[in-house]
Amino acid sequence: MAKAVKICLAGEGGQGVQSVAEIIAAAANAEGREALYIPNFGVEQRGGVSIAYLQIDDKAIGAPKFDKADILVALSDRAVRRCKQYIDANTVYVYDTSIEGVEEDLPKEGEAKKVLAIPALEISKNELHPRVFNILIMGAVIGATKVIPVEAAKAAIEKKLGYKFEQNPKLRELNFSAIDRGIELME
Amino acid sequence: MSEKPITGEKRAFMTGNEVVAWAALAAGADIMYGYPITPQNEIMHYWTRQIPKYGRKFLQTEDELSAGFTTVGGVLAGLKAFTATAGPGNTLMQEPLSMAEMMRLPVVTVVQQRGGPSTATVIYSQQEVTLTTLGGNGEGMRVVYSPSNHQELFDYTIKSFNTAWKYRFPTFVLGDGYQAKMRESVTLYDPEEKGITFVTPERYVGKPGTPGVDRDPGHYRNTYNTEEELFEVLQQHFADFEKMAPEVIEYSQESVEDADVIIIGHGVVFRGVRDAVKELREEGLKVGYFRPITLRPFPAEQLKALATQGRKLLIAESAQGQLARLVKDAIYGATAEIVPMFRPGVGITTEQIVAKVKEVL
Repeated sequence: MAKAVKICLAGEGGQGVQSVAEIIAAAANAEGREALYIPNFGVEQRGGVSIAYLQIDDKAIGAPKFDKADILVALSDRAVRRCKQYIDANTVYVYDTSIEGVEEDLPKEGEAKKVLAIPALEISKNELHPRVFNILIMGAVIGATKVIPVEAAKAAIEKKLGYKFEQNPKLRELNFSAIDRGIELME
Repeated sequence: MSEKPITGEKRAFMTGNEVVAWAALAAGADIMYGYPITPQNEIMHYWTRQIPKYGRKFLQTEDELSAGFTTVGGVLAGLKAFTATAGPGNTLMQEPLSMAEMMRLPVVTVVQQRGGPSTATVIYSQQEVTLTTLGGNGEGMRVVYSPSNHQELFDYTIKSFNTAWKYRFPTFVLGDGYQAKMRESVTLYDPEEKGITFVTPERYVGKPGTPGVDRDPGHYRNTYNTEEELFEVLQQHFADFEKMAPEVIEYSQESVEDADVIIIGHGVVFRGVRDAVKELREEGLKVGYFRPITLRPFPAEQLKALATQGRKLLIAESAQGQLARLVKDAIYGATAEIVPMFRPGVGITTEQIVAKVKEVL
């Protein structure tokens, strides 16, 4: 029996990790799978590390949070430090190459299944648009986990942002390129 | 305006707070009274967003004392009224809710537990079990359902209105911050299409006719002059509660027959308990679970029957023994050993339960 895929996304408030988790969860649900997404939330409205916990499975999902993630994406120095507790030898660890000063805090040899640095921030800034940074991350998550087909992800994006695409069809293209590019990064 | 909020079955993916609002709509609730507090705020947000279409009402009060008393007032006027709160708001609300107990008013309250005591965290706990099951001054004459997933949150919110109006005891749906904020799938439905018949609410005050001439006078009291008078009234409440108990008590159990360890958990913690039992059984370990769905009245006899010599009852809860107190009271005299797994104000994962069982087996 396959276990739920456990995904942990962490970044600064505003980097869009919650939207990414919500879109992937909605896409999985639309595919008829079971998905559970829970944000961390506290009294601070701004300025905290934002963490999204996401699980996808073919059967009913157990506890909403988990001890160790199958894939962990950390998008800031504080996120790297905050999320150490979710790593074990089965975790695929993804972080942005632009994060500085975290050498000591990244998983060492043997502490994670794989450690991948991706230039997501740079690509979104130089090749695409900073606004689609989180969609690029979404692509990376999908590329690493294969939890949902790319078409399902695109359909979910369309559902969430379709009203914006109506006004500006270029945005659709931009978002879809970001997701493809994110998947590529994991190949 | 009388259009049904839901027709047929609709699979949705939403937060628990949204589920509660839809359930109250589907149950035909007339009005919600409330005061904002995290993590239940979105219940009133979603409720107020939907109600213009269906002719329902909302009143935001100045605090939870007032929210509780206006809910009491709504019920006295014969409305299916409900409120929702959490944490310190739940504390304040116990005063009006004990009035509802005294006057036998079918008030429905949804509680999304947060950390305590005091403001503590806005996030999650199971630390409002004692408060919600036993209430303020009085004897805790109330019904408390503890759902564990969005489907149950929908089902039991609907059910709570019928339980309240049928038996005339305040009824609670005890959720928590995780259930409030997480998104998962749920199938929404029209209860009447499922064969659920709603108990028709009835006015307490303002009934037609002349009291004493056309009908008995309505005499609803929360004040008594003599000790004996109160004592007598309470005896009737206890008798009604005892008669109701077997009809409303709900629980579930699995793999208990040969179990060396029975894990007891309620609400969202039960999700991890269920998966832990599955996992441990696959490894050939003799582990089962018992899950109370009603925390009040508690499935005492059913649990006591399992609490036999040589067995361990592992109680997993996000509180420092509030469920354990209910369990101990229920199994008094039984000889099973109680093993605590208390994690006040924090979640409990499947992995942690599995590890704990292996430690005590």
